[in-house]
Amino acid sequence: MQAIVSVRDAVKNYTLGNVVVPALRGVTLDVTAGDFISIAGPSGSGKTTLLNLIGCVDTPTSGVVEVAGKDTRQLSERALTELRLHTIGFIFQSFNLVSVLTVFQNIELPLLLQRELSGPERRTRVLGLLEKVGIREYTNHRPSELSGGQRQRVAIARALVTRPQLVLADEPTANLDSVTGQNILDIMKELNRTEKTTFIFSTHDQHVMANANSIVRLADGEFVDRVSPATAASRPHGAQV
Amino acid sequence: MRAWLATLAVVAQMAFRNLFASRLKTIIVGGIIFFGGLLVVVGNSLLDSVVAAMSRSVIGSVAGHIQVYNANSKDKLEVMGRMTMGDPDLTQLDDFSKVRASLLKVPNVKSVVPMGISGAMVTSGNTIDLALEKLRNAVKAEQAATTDAERARARTDVESEKGHVRQIVSVLQGDQKNAKAVLDEKAIDPADAEAVAHAASAEFWRDFDKDPLGSLEFLENKIAPQAADADLLFLNYVGTDFQAFQKSFDRMKIVDGTMVPPGKRGFLFAKNVYEDQVKLKAARRLDKIKEGVDQQGEKIATDPDLKRMVRENQSQVREILLQLDAPKTADFRAKLQRELGSQETDVGKLLADFFQTDDQNFHQRYDFFYQELAPSLELYRVRIGDVLTIKAFTRSGYVQSVNVPVYGTFQFQGLEKSTLAGALNLMDMVSFRELYGFMSGEKLAEIKELQKEAGAHEISREDAEAELFGKPGAGATATPAPEAKVPSRHIEATTTPGVSAVKHDLGESLGGKLEREEARSRVFPPGEVEQGVVLNAAVIVKDPKKIKETIGAIEEQGKKDGLTLKAIDWQQAAGLIGQFVNVVRMVLYVAILIIFLIALVIINNALVMATLERVKEIGTLRAIGAQRRFILAMLVVEAIVVGFIFGGLGAGLGAVIVTLVGKIGIPAKSDIWFFFFSGPRLHPFIGTSNIIAAFVIVLLVSAFSSFYPAWIAMRVTPRQAMAEEE
Repeated sequence: MQAIVSVRDAVKNYTLGNVVVPALRGVTLDVTAGDFISIAGPSGSGKTTLLNLIGCVDTPTSGVVEVAGKDTRQLSERALTELRLHTIGFIFQSFNLVSVLTVFQNIELPLLLQRELSGPERRTRVLGLLEKVGIREYTNHRPSELSGGQRQRVAIARALVTRPQLVLADEPTANLDSVTGQNILDIMKELNRTEKTTFIFSTHDQHVMANANSIVRLADGEFVDRVSPATAASRPHGAQV
Repeated sequence: MRAWLATLAVVAQMAFRNLFASRLKTIIVGGIIFFGGLLVVVGNSLLDSVVAAMSRSVIGSVAGHIQVYNANSKDKLEVMGRMTMGDPDLTQLDDFSKVRASLLKVPNVKSVVPMGISGAMVTSGNTIDLALEKLRNAVKAEQAATTDAERARARTDVESEKGHVRQIVSVLQGDQKNAKAVLDEKAIDPADAEAVAHAASAEFWRDFDKDPLGSLEFLENKIAPQAADADLLFLNYVGTDFQAFQKSFDRMKIVDGTMVPPGKRGFLFAKNVYEDQVKLKAARRLDKIKEGVDQQGEKIATDPDLKRMVRENQSQVREILLQLDAPKTADFRAKLQRELGSQETDVGKLLADFFQTDDQNFHQRYDFFYQELAPSLELYRVRIGDVLTIKAFTRSGYVQSVNVPVYGTFQFQGLEKSTLAGALNLMDMVSFRELYGFMSGEKLAEIKELQKEAGAHEISREDAEAELFGKPGAGATATPAPEAKVPSRHIEATTTPGVSAVKHDLGESLGGKLEREEARSRVFPPGEVEQGVVLNAAVIVKDPKKIKETIGAIEEQGKKDGLTLKAIDWQQAAGLIGQFVNVVRMVLYVAILIIFLIALVIINNALVMATLERVKEIGTLRAIGAQRRFILAMLVVEAIVVGFIFGGLGAGLGAVIVTLVGKIGIPAKSDIWFFFFSGPRLHPFIGTSNIIAAFVIVLLVSAFSSFYPAWIAMRVTPRQAMAEEE
């Protein structure tokens, strides 16, 4: 299968005042299209930084990050935004819905930014996704009127509405109870299966990472290993290997 | 395109919803903008209305649409609101007929009125001088009398005039007593005091008839100079062609008397000047109190101005006393005693009592004054029909004097109450030229005649020495000496450099009558006004909207015709008054600027706060693919929506207010407002340009105030969407 994401020796340093804080210390990773991958590791292991690099939200200090065949370091800010808009969907830990827009409008927003579909087309697309994530009846509700799980479903629908090749989810279940979290993962898995969308999600939860096809484990900004869920379960403290 | 519109719709929707979500902020920001919009519309509309009204006042009273004068002039022409006595240094326009011909070639010019504006400080009659003159005439008449009947009549006159002079002397003595009490012994020269005491003594009057002329001389030399009751009168006048003036300024109406006939010398008082400056002060104050009470609804008891006028009338009865001769004094005493139910015999005290008016007795006293007292008084120091002798230092420095009969008074319809529009009196152009130092044909002929009589002839510069020394006695100056020609008049004028004097005829001397008739009957030749010198000219145009273009065309045409013409619009011509509106406009703009600067800061702050609260939302939008310009658009639209809605409401309310006020009208409170309002009420109107201006300003301010927060918002990175608050 073709690699949709290719990370080579990616290093990312953040500067806090005069201090350089290394967040990633040279990570190499390939993700093939249609994969369902979990990035795991404790807090501060570099999960979010890696997701940011893959999500074109950030560029590496050194090394190469290629998304959909494009070297992100070569792209302008605008081109990165375009890449995000057309290729990547985002699911956030705290949902990040626009509070003043309805469920429908939140999901429609990326389509409006794309300016490709007509009104009726957008409507069909949005309603279809609402059906799929199971919140059809909340179409005209505001995010504040929804539960956490429902909000994350809206977020998933928003991430998928542009039919991106890649969906990134940063701790998508961290703010949800375990049953709801599992529901969300089930929806993601279902979409991965039916839509062939690549999913990369970060988590530090054993149960959550068990849903992935493979688990990329990080510790202290370095790549530890890439294992199957079964292996991860048997060796839970991967960082110590 | 449709998707683009849809995006805009989303942006707008997000903007609306954000505004609604933070209602308090929106209302505060909107309130300021609302007020700003209101102020722009109301303020500008009022000012525009005042400008429009004032332009009618200025244009209709004296300035016309455009004023034309010589471009070589050192000073600017100001036809109104002159604050100084000195005339602006204007170069003359030599031949008015050429100027008129040139101006009339410009298509938009309707009519041209020749003008020259100047002013003179003049002194009005000194009562004692006039009384002494009457006495002298009576004495002379007695001496010249040939029959008993004549002698008897002259005797009565002499006695009556003696009584009047005695009365004046006693008033003078009272004045000196007061001065001593208020100041000190040294305030009055002992010699003066002695002279007055002598003139007031019974012996003086007993011996008067023994040497009437000697006694008169004593009174004239020792007493008259002490009775300086003459008031200074400052008269600004426009020398013009009366007929052209009346035709072009059709709001002009004759109030008293008649129009000056064509080709005649004449003077028309502006009604306001006549009332304010020429009328007996006590009577004028009564008029003003009546106006305050009747028209402004004020009370003497509460209004400080009215109170002051009542007080002044009580303390300044001297002006009336000086006019009273013996029979009048007796008459006044009897009438006032009856009216006041008083036993007081001193007429001065009776008058002071009489003028002690309050809200209850005012109208009764007012009517009594005009019905019973006024007929015995000279209400106006200059009467219609009198001849004014105006003496002035001309621009070349010699004294020039002109006799001008007063034909009447005039005012401008709608501007009756405005002292500004009625500050200029009118004089015939020929007299004006003489006073200003230009030679009229009549004068030139007179000088020629004089030269011939004196055997004078023109001497060239080169021959001057030979003429002077070679043939002594043969030379004479060619300088006009009109002074020498002026016969001794019934009116004597005192002049100070740069100031002219006017006195009028209270007496009925033979000389006076002759003089008046002569001044009145003199006619100047028809071409004289037309072809002579003028200082400026008022231009009335056909289309007042094209004043700017017409000014250019006039100056252009002037160049073609070899005239150095400078044209200015009415606002410039109105001088300080014209600038008044600009000043008010400046103040308004500064106020608007300040309000909008405050608005800018407050809106900016509110938007920065809002942006900081929405960092995560903005980051999310950026992460899911919104470009920076989308974020910018979102915030600017938000600000503009606020500006549009609230600014629109403010401008709308402003328009409603202006329209309502326009229906009712703003009353002019004082005379100056009559001028600015061009009548008793200002009816403001709303201009579309003002509403548009309000919108533009409001939108600009809104847009500007959102720049900084938008800049902050644009720097929000998508990474900030990922950050967790924990």
